[in-house]
Amino acid sequence: MIPGVTLELILYTTALGLVIIGLSGVVLSRHLFRMVLALVIAEAGANLMLVLSGYRWEAVAPILIERSEQPVMVDPVPQAMVLTAIVIGVGVQALAVSILIRIRQRYAALDRHDVAEKMDAEIAITAGIRRDISQDAPLGDRPIQPVPAHTSESRGGEL
Amino acid sequence: MNYLVLTIALPMLGAFLLPVVMQTSKAIGLWLGPLILAYGCWLLANLWLNDVSLPISIAIGGFAAPLGINLYIDSLALLFAFATQLMGLICWPFSLNQDTARRQSLMLLLVAASTGLALSGDLFNLYVFYELAAVATFGLVAASNTTASIAATFRYLILSGIGSVLTLLGIALVYSQTGTLNLAHLAQLAPELLNDKLGLTAYLLILIGIGVKAELFPVNAWVPEIYGTASSRLSGFLAGLLSKLALLVILRLLLLVFHQPEAIQIILILGILGVISGELAAWRAKDMRRMLGFSSIGQLGIVFIALSLPDERGLLALLALSLHHLVIKTGLFMLADGWGGSLERLRGIARTSPIGAALFTLFALSLVGVPPLPGFWAKFTLITELAAQSEPLYLIGLLVFLLATVIETSYMFRIVALMYSRAELPNQPARPHLPGISLATASLFGISLLAATVLIAPIGDGLQAVASETKNIDLYIETVLPATPGGQL
Amino acid sequence: MRNLTGLLFAGGLGFMLLAIASGIDFGNPAMRIGEAIQSSSPQEIGAANIVTSVVLGYRGIDTLGELSILFAAASAAGLVLGRRQTTAGTQTRGGFVLHHGGAMLFPFLLTIGFYIIFHGHLTPGGGFQGGVILAAAFFLPLLASPGARLHHSILSVIEAFAGASFILIGLAALAEGKAFLQPMLNQDTLGSLISAGTLPLLYIAVGLKVGAELASLLSNLAQTESER
Repeated sequence: MIPGVTLELILYTTALGLVIIGLSGVVLSRHLFRMVLALVIAEAGANLMLVLSGYRWEAVAPILIERSEQPVMVDPVPQAMVLTAIVIGVGVQALAVSILIRIRQRYAALDRHDVAEKMDAEIAITAGIRRDISQDAPLGDRPIQPVPAHTSESRGGEL
Repeated sequence: MNYLVLTIALPMLGAFLLPVVMQTSKAIGLWLGPLILAYGCWLLANLWLNDVSLPISIAIGGFAAPLGINLYIDSLALLFAFATQLMGLICWPFSLNQDTARRQSLMLLLVAASTGLALSGDLFNLYVFYELAAVATFGLVAASNTTASIAATFRYLILSGIGSVLTLLGIALVYSQTGTLNLAHLAQLAPELLNDKLGLTAYLLILIGIGVKAELFPVNAWVPEIYGTASSRLSGFLAGLLSKLALLVILRLLLLVFHQPEAIQIILILGILGVISGELAAWRAKDMRRMLGFSSIGQLGIVFIALSLPDERGLLALLALSLHHLVIKTGLFMLADGWGGSLERLRGIARTSPIGAALFTLFALSLVGVPPLPGFWAKFTLITELAAQSEPLYLIGLLVFLLATVIETSYMFRIVALMYSRAELPNQPARPHLPGISLATASLFGISLLAATVLIAPIGDGLQAVASETKNIDLYIETVLPATPGGQL
Repeated sequence: MRNLTGLLFAGGLGFMLLAIASGIDFGNPAMRIGEAIQSSSPQEIGAANIVTSVVLGYRGIDTLGELSILFAAASAAGLVLGRRQTTAGTQTRGGFVLHHGGAMLFPFLLTIGFYIIFHGHLTPGGGFQGGVILAAAFFLPLLASPGARLHHSILSVIEAFAGASFILIGLAALAEGKAFLQPMLNQDTLGSLISAGTLPLLYIAVGLKVGAELASLLSNLAQTESER
């Protein structure tokens, strides 16, 4: 095979690659649902990393069956940890999707910046403050002098 | 001693049964939660009143550590566990609407998870309780049912999810290197096995992961939105208590497992950055709840700076600052229950609500650190400790801390001046009304603050004893893994 | 541009983590507690599946926490999704295959789900996995005829009592003077269906709770979609 590429390298690259892909997906995505999917991938990578920490060469699953001599078994503790971690992940992901359904219904948008903008506006309105950003008050506190209609200036000066 | 697991198991049992109980008999259902929490308080206070010799280690399931999971109860853990059950009672969501059963069962789960965070002695068990606290918080924040609160929950969920992925990676690295998850066993193995780059990487991953709740610098973007949209009682619980419990977990890891000097330096740098960002943002904030949220980031940055001090007086400063912040921030959030919203609305409110204004002034004075209030003593301990260090990074920390105090004075007393101002503006918005219960709870915190001022000497001595007991790693290892003649694993 | 710098940063981070991970001795874990658990588990707990003895015995309180997390997540999702909508007729009914396939699969899914739950201490599987299959079994008819309603009150009662029985079994050990969640009852012969004391009971409680919870959550998600 390719020199230097061991099974160990392939496995660790897979697990850490999943985590890195997932985390960069969360940070770089614009769509909220893509963030959740990226988080799912990252959690899968982390779980894989956990399971790999218990692997033993030439070992069997840690289940006792009638054998003449008990062979070497893999470490059962990381498997128990991963069981727990997977269920925790499922719970959080289900909750995330329910939240997304609600956000979509109420804000009619699932783009990250739109939702952040609307949330900020809603907090400001509930608190009764005016945000000092240009979308809310483009002129700040300065009023524009109204242009009087039907004067020589508005008709382009003297003809 | 095994019955102490009830402080975690009974709230969980109550949480599972509460929806069904509420449907059959609403009266019993409304009393079930507070009764369970009161019983938990009593169980923990009993330990202290009966002068039980701490620390003790309880093996859950009868399986001795390190094979099984154990609860480690020393004075620090007991203090925070008791504070958790008590705060659960104080910040109980008693308002009645269609979701009452769900909200109360989520609150019971939050208290159970927080107690577990304070007491547990196993790395993965701490992670499970941490996640339980996170999910319960998501539910409770989203229960406010405004779209902004749901959007804020989403951001918190994503950050928390990133944190949990990083924590799992860190735990995987620790386990693959040492083969154990028990904190005492890790403390024994750490000097040889976790002293290298791998240990530092694992520490960094776990720190960022758990730092999400502790409002650590890069992962605290969730704070202003959550505190701005959640109910004030819940925000008081989160800012006051839950952040301290996350801090407690990081403290245990630093003391027991990760002894590298780089570990401490990272915390110092992140603390400094947190202080700067938090206090400056608080200065600019225009509504009460988000101002308190940013201020909380700043205060927790100061606590992180205290965490990075290597000796025992540093631990004393950490304890004093944490407990002080617990009382102050929760009291301020109770006041924000009615006074949340634009700061402009508080102009001249001292006339309509003198007690509230006086309480706010008291909290502000203690936050800034005016003698003889406890805040002064906590900050003074930190200043003397920082000044006694020789490394330049600590001096930068000291400068930033003093700068932060100046900024705090500025924005807190700006509000106090606003409250006591006599000017009547033409378009004054309607003054908010403070609900009676929130005022009573805030007064409770104010009275305990004044009591702490009077009793500052015995409290200081008590905290000193707690600090020296916590610093004693050998005591921890000896309690959990008593030396057997057959030798260790 | 921002994406590119982000990806480069992530790539660098991944490379550093890989360098760190290559320092681990892969395939030869330290097994400090793993070895001890493997040797003492048959006598102390008596489950053929050592992972189950870890999940429900040595680290039982982790499983309790995990159960609570699932409960909290389902509760919170129910809170967020709000009242169930009564608009039944807006969704299209499933076709022939979905209807009859679902009806045929239902008993098989139930059998497999219960089989996996009951044999959790003997073969890979257990309460969580079996519970998910049970939830799928109950959700399949909902996909076929969207107007059908699950009895949420019955589901919540099952969920509450299953979860409570997990903790009550643990508390029973406490009442006997032992520790919380200590395995009780007879261990009997290793490898038979009735063995490992209270462990199968715990897994049955877990399976029923998870099944009821996820079925309720899935139907909540499906029925909210109709709100506009």
